[in-house]
Amino acid sequence: MTAPTNRTLTSVVPGMDLDEVVYGPLTRDDFVRYAEASGDDNPIHQDEEYARNNGAPTVFALGMLNAGYLAHAVSDWFGGPHRLRRYKVRFTTRVWAGDELACTGRVVAVESGVVKVGLEARRRGSGPDGLGLDEEEVAIVGEADVVLPE
Amino acid sequence: MAEAEITFTLPVTRRAIADFAVAVGEDNPIFFDVDEARRQGFPDVVAPPTFSVRQIFEVPREEREERLGASLDYGRVLHGEQEFIYSRLPVAGETLTGTMRISKDFTKEGKRGGSMRFVTYESMFTDADGAEVLRALYTLIETSKDPGS
Repeated sequence: MTAPTNRTLTSVVPGMDLDEVVYGPLTRDDFVRYAEASGDDNPIHQDEEYARNNGAPTVFALGMLNAGYLAHAVSDWFGGPHRLRRYKVRFTTRVWAGDELACTGRVVAVESGVVKVGLEARRRGSGPDGLGLDEEEVAIVGEADVVLPE
Repeated sequence: MAEAEITFTLPVTRRAIADFAVAVGEDNPIFFDVDEARRQGFPDVVAPPTFSVRQIFEVPREEREERLGASLDYGRVLHGEQEFIYSRLPVAGETLTGTMRISKDFTKEGKRGGSMRFVTYESMFTDADGAEVLRALYTLIETSKDPGS
């Protein structure tokens, strides 16, 4: 449970770290709920057998679910979703059921009243059996432009 | 013959916003409580920042592929990047008009011998007055048949 933090432009300086927000552990039910809400019904995120037959060891989270959590974190850091002017993510690894998603951000610059934020979402967990994954990996590298009241 | 763009509508309803917000773990009342949204100056509850991905309900992948003609092999496709550029967030009760086109399509040689093709679908969403609400850029990466392992 998190609530938006109201911030003003003058309270934000380059180099400032935003408090880490951790979502999850993610479950297969979360994947199904997001698939239904978003319209992305690709079975690789829901159907174990389909996933195995299509090059994945098991089902994994929809990338936009992870990006949705990260956008949630950004919204809460800066007073609400309506503060966003731009949001960009690059997906770097898969996130599995059982993983937590740890979201962090850092203010990179403040230019003409626009706050430039660097973002990261890391998967944290043991991952599927037998894959030997690192306990923590970067799943999303992102950036956001945010506008704040004076 | 491929079309240059696809025009579609994206209905923004309170129900769709609430379902989507719950799915990304949201509890901010701006997505659920009309009175609170109005208190903050919005005409109704607002859509979460990534809500417009619901455009896939309006233009499914098969239709997009057939009409815009990228000829991607989805067995080798990953969602590489996603970007949203906002004038404002959509609000419940409106229906946006979307226009989708392929804005980038290029191939890069990989470090280990294979190649990667990047295809970006850019969707522009406008409101009933014709004003831009947001743009969404959906970038897929198609890996080569022989990744060169």
